Amino acid sequence: MLQKFEYAAPTGRAEFLSLLAERGADSKLLAGGTDLLVNIRGGVMKPSLVVDVKKVAGFSALSWSASDGLLISPGTTINDLLRDRGVAERFPLLTECAHDLASYQVRNRATVIGNVVNASPCSDMAPALLCLGARAVISSKRGQREVPFVDFFKGVKKTVLQPDEVLERIIVPASSAGARGSYRKLKRINGHDLGIVGVALMKKDGLMRLGISSSAPTPILIDGLKEGASEDSVVAAARKAISPISDLRCSKEYREFMVETYVKRLLKEVA
Amino acid sequence: MMRITVNVNGNSYARDIEGHETLLRFLREDLGLTGTKEGCGAGECGACTVFMNGRTVNSCMVLAAEADGCTIETIEGEARDGKLSAIQEAFDRNHAVQCGYCTGGMVMSVRELLHRNPKPTIDEIKEGIEGNFCRCTGYQQIIEAVLDASGQLVPANKGELKYA
Repeated sequence: MLQKFEYAAPTGRAEFLSLLAERGADSKLLAGGTDLLVNIRGGVMKPSLVVDVKKVAGFSALSWSASDGLLISPGTTINDLLRDRGVAERFPLLTECAHDLASYQVRNRATVIGNVVNASPCSDMAPALLCLGARAVISSKRGQREVPFVDFFKGVKKTVLQPDEVLERIIVPASSAGARGSYRKLKRINGHDLGIVGVALMKKDGLMRLGISSSAPTPILIDGLKEGASEDSVVAAARKAISPISDLRCSKEYREFMVETYVKRLLKEVA
Repeated sequence: MMRITVNVNGNSYARDIEGHETLLRFLREDLGLTGTKEGCGAGECGACTVFMNGRTVNSCMVLAAEADGCTIETIEGEARDGKLSAIQEAFDRNHAVQCGYCTGGMVMSVRELLHRNPKPTIDEIKEGIEGNFCRCTGYQQIIEAVLDASGQLVPANKGELKYA
């Protein structure tokens, strides 16, 4: 049994933002619930109000246009993203990261935005979004601001979001469409598991980026690499950027070793 | 308290619920449909898997309030007119049920898998049921049942599936 809370499902955007302005501090947003309800059950979070974002008008759209890029909404589930052929064609790295997230029925509920606002160091979507230069459109009653994902995460489970704000849209820029890339996630088992380390590598227009999860307090981006850079220099850049810890899943040294291993493999595999 | 209307296995129910009540609890305690089980309560084990508007979900991580206006299908709706479904018959034939605790959720995931992929490979079956834990069978018989239900079980190979 979950501890008591009220449930609200506003349908209008203005009504939703007003509710957040009023109750943001003691409320939590519900999208897929695959983290939130587990946290409430475990007593980690104790909101007095849970606000369902899925019924807000326009909060479930997933769209693409050559001018605006790919727009992802709070209601967009991981499987919505995976079922979209256009996403698979234009952003194969997003599809690959999404596919590695949890199990099928969790992917039916878990959302892309939920996976990043939780700011877990082991987020599966963050490495792809960081590599692709995605931006967060953050809204509140006070107005709207845009934050690139490279500035979005502030620490373990911490982001730039204020209690009255919602990440209303992710923009994956059209300029990143066609980027080649791949994702490697180390797990304890073949089936669904949290990542021990995750490494995404993206190549486009002579440039190369790495997005790495579970190896620092936040998912991290390593930018400014040139396609064709030597293996040693890319590995050195990755080693310098990460700061893994030892925990119940594995040791710090193993994480360092596997990041290095995945970087080397991806350099060969991503043509 | 709030009132929700939910269609479960073809029957419409209107009930008063609390905001913090899960769909799982609603199905089991309010409607008495105890075929859906609680295992971990955290989305790991899949014993609580049901269909919500045609997609499988872990009902322990869905609020009953979210199901307002939705169509839910549970294991109780799998057999029709007293006859087991093809998936249930295949589970029966292949001894894919031991203690039975995971079976309701497992059958839901298999139905979803065969709906989107009528001839899954062994690897695709493993992926399709990765969110459903079975602590009895070691999965061998379940995988055989899915191969059987999809018309792919070769009798000569029974019991000798190669695990990658």
